[in-house]
Amino acid sequence: MSEANKTDAGRHLSKIMQNAYMDLHTRAKEGAFVVWIAINVPAELFYGFENLVYAVPESHAAMNAGKGVGAVQCEKAERIGYSMDLCSYARIDIGCAADGGRDSPSFGLPKPNLLVSNNNNCSLLVKWFDVHHREMGVPHFIIDVPFCYGPQKEKDRNYIIRQFYDLIQTIEDLSGQRFDWDKARQALDYTNRGIVHWKRFLSHARHRPSGITAFDSFVQMAPFLIMRGTPEFEAHYKLLADETEQRVKAGDFPVPDERYRLFWDNIAPWHQLRDMSSNLADSGANIIGATYTSCIGTVEGSFDMYPYDGRDPMRYLARTQNCYICPHGMGLRRRAMRQAVETLGIDGIVFASNRSCKPYSVTQMDQQKFMSEHLGIPSVMVDVDHADVRKYSKESTFTRLEALLEMIDAKRAA
Amino acid sequence: MIEKIKALKGQGKPVIGCFPLYPPLELFHSLGLNPVVLWRLKGEGGQTGESDRHLQNYTCSVARHMTEFLLSEESGAFLDGIFMYNACDTLRNMPEIIEGGLETAGRSVPFFNIHIPMVPPAQTDGDEYLKNEVNRLIEELEACFDRKFDSVAFQNSVAQFKRLRMLYLQAEAAVANGGIGFREFAGVFRKAAGMPVEQQQGILEPLLSQYAENSKNQDKAGIILSGILPPPDAMVEAMESSGLRIVGNDIAALHRSYADMPQPGAEPAAYYRDFYFNHYPCPTLLYSGDRRVQALLERCQQTGAKGVVFIGEKFCEYEYFEFPYLEKKLGGQGVQTLLLELAVDDEDHSAAHGARIEAFAEMLSTS
Repeated sequence: MSEANKTDAGRHLSKIMQNAYMDLHTRAKEGAFVVWIAINVPAELFYGFENLVYAVPESHAAMNAGKGVGAVQCEKAERIGYSMDLCSYARIDIGCAADGGRDSPSFGLPKPNLLVSNNNNCSLLVKWFDVHHREMGVPHFIIDVPFCYGPQKEKDRNYIIRQFYDLIQTIEDLSGQRFDWDKARQALDYTNRGIVHWKRFLSHARHRPSGITAFDSFVQMAPFLIMRGTPEFEAHYKLLADETEQRVKAGDFPVPDERYRLFWDNIAPWHQLRDMSSNLADSGANIIGATYTSCIGTVEGSFDMYPYDGRDPMRYLARTQNCYICPHGMGLRRRAMRQAVETLGIDGIVFASNRSCKPYSVTQMDQQKFMSEHLGIPSVMVDVDHADVRKYSKESTFTRLEALLEMIDAKRAA
Repeated sequence: MIEKIKALKGQGKPVIGCFPLYPPLELFHSLGLNPVVLWRLKGEGGQTGESDRHLQNYTCSVARHMTEFLLSEESGAFLDGIFMYNACDTLRNMPEIIEGGLETAGRSVPFFNIHIPMVPPAQTDGDEYLKNEVNRLIEELEACFDRKFDSVAFQNSVAQFKRLRMLYLQAEAAVANGGIGFREFAGVFRKAAGMPVEQQQGILEPLLSQYAENSKNQDKAGIILSGILPPPDAMVEAMESSGLRIVGNDIAALHRSYADMPQPGAEPAAYYRDFYFNHYPCPTLLYSGDRRVQALLERCQQTGAKGVVFIGEKFCEYEYFEFPYLEKKLGGQGVQTLLLELAVDDEDHSAAHGARIEAFAEMLSTS
């Protein structure tokens, strides 16, 4: 999308993302302690340190895919022996790192002093970060988050909290910096207020026609991944929510003649956002919500905001560790999806079966059956890979999406 | 496997199916249960029709065959309980898929689940967490099966499994010096798998008593097999007929399962602390990653292996993330590597790998 066609929030997003990556490289060069993290490592804790920057390889990989160089980076990893069956984020990141950041829109990521992975979204992240740990000789801290089939248990929360304390101690030992609780609390306040605006932004999907598309929300997730805990994070999401609100009031909708309200399940297909969005819009269809973006700022089993109460930051951060879709079981996923489908008035669901993300995908066949049999919601399963365009077939996907729209029509006609 | 489970049922003890590979077998045994590790279930009908209704075709064969096994009326119906601990991203979703499938079929089986801490012990102390998990499991098993934990019985079970592991290591040593062929060894393992520990010992002991230290085939190039499942017989045959001698293995269902010799004791939490945290390295035990490379290099040195053949289980991301680095490190030590990949239906067609195996054997013989 050209700058001229972007919304104010879209332009602001480009600017702050560019600044964030420039700041990352600059501060790393000036001697800041650099941490590479999995997306849901509690980044707010890092603001308790005076001179620390963090980078998020998954987000960087998504950006590569979105900018059209995902497959190029994947091929670099494949040439050094990494199987094409492995997660495309991992292949992009490993390939990019092995090639010194070449072809990356941000010139790669600065070399880390510490790697912090976890196993809540996926255990293979630990294996992925182990690759860097071994190749770069950098320490690797593993956060172990027990998978949950019901609401997170107190025993698990306490275990996670203990690890957070160990993480702080590890950084203190490695960086020589002291942790400041007040700064970490302040960072969590920024995150919390930013998420309030994020939820406000997403709520405009309830409007008929929807005030947003899921594709907008996918793109706008980026600050959540790399800028949590900052005033810029809060300010950006306020701008986004305010602008969207004004557009809805003004009758400015992304798909004005919206006839099909769809819901997306899985990671965004970063290489297809614009194409998929515009093609669906031509048919009067809008993917108005997604599990991927709705789970932010929640706890497992619900897409409602789980606010920070201003008290113990460790408890809050630990409590929200299972909120992303992958760290909890099918029953909880089902409950949240059902809530979203009913709240948003969804006509059909697109289950994106994603070879690169088995933890997200592996329950989808049962989920699809449930949504059809118990809620009567038509759905389709499409094959995608979130970052490797070579594993995507536009023709096949759109044939299925068209079939979904026909199913919705048939249901309406019945 | 189904015939073995039926036989176990005939003994009057509840049968508990376990996955993945390193469950607390001694504990189940001490409570008067028959634990059966649900692994390598291909061949129990061979098809995956029921599993295919629940799992995409890019899940590994282990998950697909296990789901098929558990949901089929013929096999799954004989289990009195299912136990799992956290392993990979696919398997952690299995309980609800299986429970849902069973519910649809009008059946139910109690599920038991514990979380093994995956933190490196030097980083975070997971002892207390593991202790609570083990104690909770004991309480749940006691309540479900009307049993009472007995520390003397536990010590006896620990001794039985230690004896079994030692027998496997002796058999493996016999394979290394050529007294027993790997195919024969793997066949014995397959025969014993799923049997009570005492019967497994009864299968291994005669094998070892018959074996004579004759150090056959010492002129052949030694290789180590690595992967999560033993290769199919046809593949082993191709290796042995190509002039390769399998002198050791780093296979999850074999060496990684029995190489561990935890300190015997009467207290389950302490025993399993040693069992899990000092376990022979496996990609599924995330905290063992740093020890894994060294362990494989040492196995090559101990056995004099000139090559390592990785038996890649397609879609097992844990294993595949490690292959490139292992290949590099092994190569640095002069150990050649070959990666063979097996998918859900490939076992019957593994002879197709013959040409690559022959080429690898030629390379080793001339290196």
